[in-house]
Amino acid sequence: MMQKLSLKKIGKWFSLIILFVCALLIIAEFVFHRYGETKTEDILLFPAFFGFLAFIFIVFAGVLLRKLVMRKEDYYDK
Amino acid sequence: MINSFPPGLLMLLGGLAIPFLPHHTRQIWMILILILSAISINVDHGVHIVFELMNYEFIFWKSDSLSMPFAIVFHIAAALNIFYGWHEKDWKQHTSAFTYAGAAITALHAGDFLTLFLFWEFTVLTSVFLILASNNNRATSSAIRYLVMQFTSGALLIAGAAYYISVTGNSELTLLSLDNPGAWFIFLSFGIKAAFPLLNGWLQDAYPEATVIGTVALSAFTTKLAIYALARTFAGTEYLIYIGVIMTAFPVFFAVIENDLRRVLSYSLNNQLGFMVVGIGVGTEMALNGAVAHAFVHIIYKSLLFMSMGAVLYRVGTIKASELGGLYKYMPVTTVCCIIGAMSISAFPLFSGFVAKSLIMVGVAEHGLIIIYLMLLFASAGVLEHSGIKIPYFAFFGHESKVKTKEAPIGMVIAMVFAAFLCLLIGFIPSLLFSLLPYEVDYKVYTPSHVIGQMQLLIFAILAFIFLIRFKLYPPEIPSTVLNFDWFYRIFLYKLINSIIKVLFKIWEIFSLNFINSIKFVYSKIQNNSIQSGNSAVKVGRSTVLILFSLGFVLICNYLLF
Repeated sequence: MMQKLSLKKIGKWFSLIILFVCALLIIAEFVFHRYGETKTEDILLFPAFFGFLAFIFIVFAGVLLRKLVMRKEDYYDK
Repeated sequence: MINSFPPGLLMLLGGLAIPFLPHHTRQIWMILILILSAISINVDHGVHIVFELMNYEFIFWKSDSLSMPFAIVFHIAAALNIFYGWHEKDWKQHTSAFTYAGAAITALHAGDFLTLFLFWEFTVLTSVFLILASNNNRATSSAIRYLVMQFTSGALLIAGAAYYISVTGNSELTLLSLDNPGAWFIFLSFGIKAAFPLLNGWLQDAYPEATVIGTVALSAFTTKLAIYALARTFAGTEYLIYIGVIMTAFPVFFAVIENDLRRVLSYSLNNQLGFMVVGIGVGTEMALNGAVAHAFVHIIYKSLLFMSMGAVLYRVGTIKASELGGLYKYMPVTTVCCIIGAMSISAFPLFSGFVAKSLIMVGVAEHGLIIIYLMLLFASAGVLEHSGIKIPYFAFFGHESKVKTKEAPIGMVIAMVFAAFLCLLIGFIPSLLFSLLPYEVDYKVYTPSHVIGQMQLLIFAILAFIFLIRFKLYPPEIPSTVLNFDWFYRIFLYKLINSIIKVLFKIWEIFSLNFINSIKFVYSKIQNNSIQSGNSAVKVGRSTVLILFSLGFVLICNYLLF
């Protein structure tokens, strides 16, 4: 079954499913009384914002780190 | 009969027959020995084998509620390895992997420091061949560095243990406090094996250089043996909380930019060890249960991820993200298994990682460590980035495949499917895992709050990924070398020692040149005087002094050099 799916289709469906689940999770935030292990987590949609921003920070910090620690592929072979 | 051998020792000895057995018989032999070893762990807790030598009691077999879960999962990892490597005809790798697992299981049941040291060293000796078996210059150099670091760890352990035993008179593995140099040496020794920050270079250096089945075996034992040793001897040591939290955070950034996917997993392994170290540092029953549970599930899902990447390497011949992509069409089972491993490590509800990580997080929160808790939450987003998304995305999706290949060999598929099944089984029925933990678990994993909170964290992080890909902000993979802490001894220390030697040689050159010139000068003066005096007796006397002087110089040089 997987062989028949094109990458574009998989990407499109994956994005749609994630958006749908995001919407469900926002609704769930208001339907259920969500509480965390710490008081900070009790802030409205805290895990959602934290996850989104942490991910972006990690990726961009990685890009900056490249300038510092990235060398040519044969660096150690010279 | 079985109970006269500590678990694992049978594997260590049985492994010696592997080179003499034909291909398939060898795998069946290993399974039989493994079953015997696994049966032997099913004994009452307590000391079972003690061997006395020169007034020292070597406790070869001590089992309790802490060693038991590790023993079970070590046997599972060894079984996965046997099936995963079924296609491999190289007896050297099988002997190495099997005896390595045996040594690790025996070390796990050691009740005293010297027995632990003995089998700790056996794990090094047996495992290094898994790196050497790659049979290229990079792997050979890496294996030598691996040996140096592991033996340094062993030397620190024996030095620390000797000091500790001489001061306290107690040789049993028990809780230590960092109030004497011996305990610090032992702490550092375990720290090298557990890949503490700054001491972690060997892990990302060596593991990705091993063979396809070698990396899977390596990922399971050494570091988790160190986690077990830390849990046994340094539970509740506050330093571990801070060390652990750094371990969870810093590899995340390196993993983002690393191109070798097995090296990405090695950074990820480091990050996962951090969670366990934090749990041990907190030291409460809940946190220790979390650390042990995490070690248990981690061995399975990390093996699964390494197995899936190994299968890709085996079929495609490379594991560089920049050269892979689109393999879902050709390796569907491997793709699904990899995604299950990725979802487990990312701690999605209904997967094993969620169950174990929750215990550590609750343990940290209950301890009132809010900042640490938030840093672990941040590291969780990092895990999703490198292991949850990057690994499956770049290997199996990303872009259309440049190569046509086929599904992994049947042995690999069986091992991966079994590991994936275990990830789901523990995720669906957490009580199965909880019943193995050292302390009773009074915690409900699946509450609406917990599930919604975790899903928000993960799904919105994935949304960030989609956003970055959509707007072409996600950094492309670049063929490169990412410098890690091993750079300090591979380049910095190497260059430092080189320059010191060069300076010493220069000094010696200047010294010897001046010395020779002064001798020449004295000699020419003597010769001139002799010619002028024309007296043969004076000539002979001066020549004798010159010969004696030269002989003296040669003797001094000899003494200094040899």
